Amino acid sequence: MKSSLIRPALALALAAGLAGCGGSDKAEFVVKGTITGIVYPGAVLTTNGMEIAIPPPATPRATVSFAFPNKLEYGDVYNVQFKSLPSNQNCGTPPQTIANFNDTAGRLAEINITFACAVDIYSIGGTVSGLTADGLVLANGSTGGTFAVAKPAAGVTTPVSYTFAGAVEFGQTYGVTVITQPTGQVCTVANPTGTMQAANVTNINVTCVAAPS
Amino acid sequence: MDQLLAKWTKMLSDFSILTAQLRFPARFFGDVMKSSYLRAGAALACAVALSACGGSDGQLELGGTFQGVTKAGLVVTSSGQEKAITPPADGSGQGRWAFNNLISTDDRYSVEVKSKPSNVKDCTIENPSGRAGYHVYTIYITCELNRHGLSGTVSNLKGNLVLVNGSDRVTVQAGAATFKMAEIAEDSPYGVAVLEQPAGQTCTVSNGSGTVGPADVTNVAVTCTP
Repeated sequence: MKSSLIRPALALALAAGLAGCGGSDKAEFVVKGTITGIVYPGAVLTTNGMEIAIPPPATPRATVSFAFPNKLEYGDVYNVQFKSLPSNQNCGTPPQTIANFNDTAGRLAEINITFACAVDIYSIGGTVSGLTADGLVLANGSTGGTFAVAKPAAGVTTPVSYTFAGAVEFGQTYGVTVITQPTGQVCTVANPTGTMQAANVTNINVTCVAAPS
Repeated sequence: MDQLLAKWTKMLSDFSILTAQLRFPARFFGDVMKSSYLRAGAALACAVALSACGGSDGQLELGGTFQGVTKAGLVVTSSGQEKAITPPADGSGQGRWAFNNLISTDDRYSVEVKSKPSNVKDCTIENPSGRAGYHVYTIYITCELNRHGLSGTVSNLKGNLVLVNGSDRVTVQAGAATFKMAEIAEDSPYGVAVLEQPAGQTCTVSNGSGTVGPADVTNVAVTCTP
């Protein structure tokens, strides 16, 4: 390195070597990934001026793969968004994972975006009238949870509203029945069953009367 | 151990000074504690007794997670330790567990199910045995609940009837005399109700709701108007 001639020559060689690195074949990146949980049609993804429609899989909620048609070059920024969601569903980054839909091509060797969709949920409930004793337990089938209705405070005669803790997915059925009757009373349920639409259900009304002796 | 012994010896001798000052009856402490050998011996006994108190002198937790535990009765063992895992109050059947006593580095462990809740078919343990390097949080216990049938009879059905048990939906064809819903886990509630009545008929359900015991439910009866 003592010679002043060797130094520039070396620098030149280094520069030539680096330029060679980029090569004539440019690195290109496919914007792709997977989505889980799709049940309904309507999903459209968009990024960098491209759009792709994602039909629901044959088996609802199965993992579907997507890939945008045009490749990106090193350094291009992508930001994949749902232009429209599957109907009655919401989609986003799966819980407990790091969002990866907005990044720079080339930061990782491969782009692999993960999304998860969930069907919208709505609550079910109604009012309880005439309840004067403890012990009333309602249930929404075997897996929809139970709801123990406490006796209203003395003097309360207006219907008391209640809501199940467990929500019901759009399109799923519900069926509320009395699992345990209150002491000395018989309760009946109006509008007990239905298929969930896009709104909370508030008309599952329970009426209690004295048990026939 | 030497340090501990020295510490306890000192504490005991301080104590005997104190007793002397308080003029305790000589026959209680004075005579006995006169000998330094005896004093050291007593300190040693004391130290041994104290270390025995902890059960084990480890620092590492041995446990993991459980699921499917909705009833008391699950007991697991490892190296003479027993742990009863109680079901969580929220009814989810899942949570974290750990043995009460800590274990030491390099201790070998092998966790086994000693008894299971009565509503469980089988409990399996993932990563049951090993050698502790650090806290062990990876012993996963999964209990599979017993499942029972939910079925009943139908009378006078002339059209199609749709029954539900919560999110479980079953269409009963015209003319059917029986129906069968999806199986349900032991101790869970059930409530069979009519979602769609057959054309021109009204069907009512009797014995439609309750809690599943240790046997199948077969007494749900659907009766339709003529």
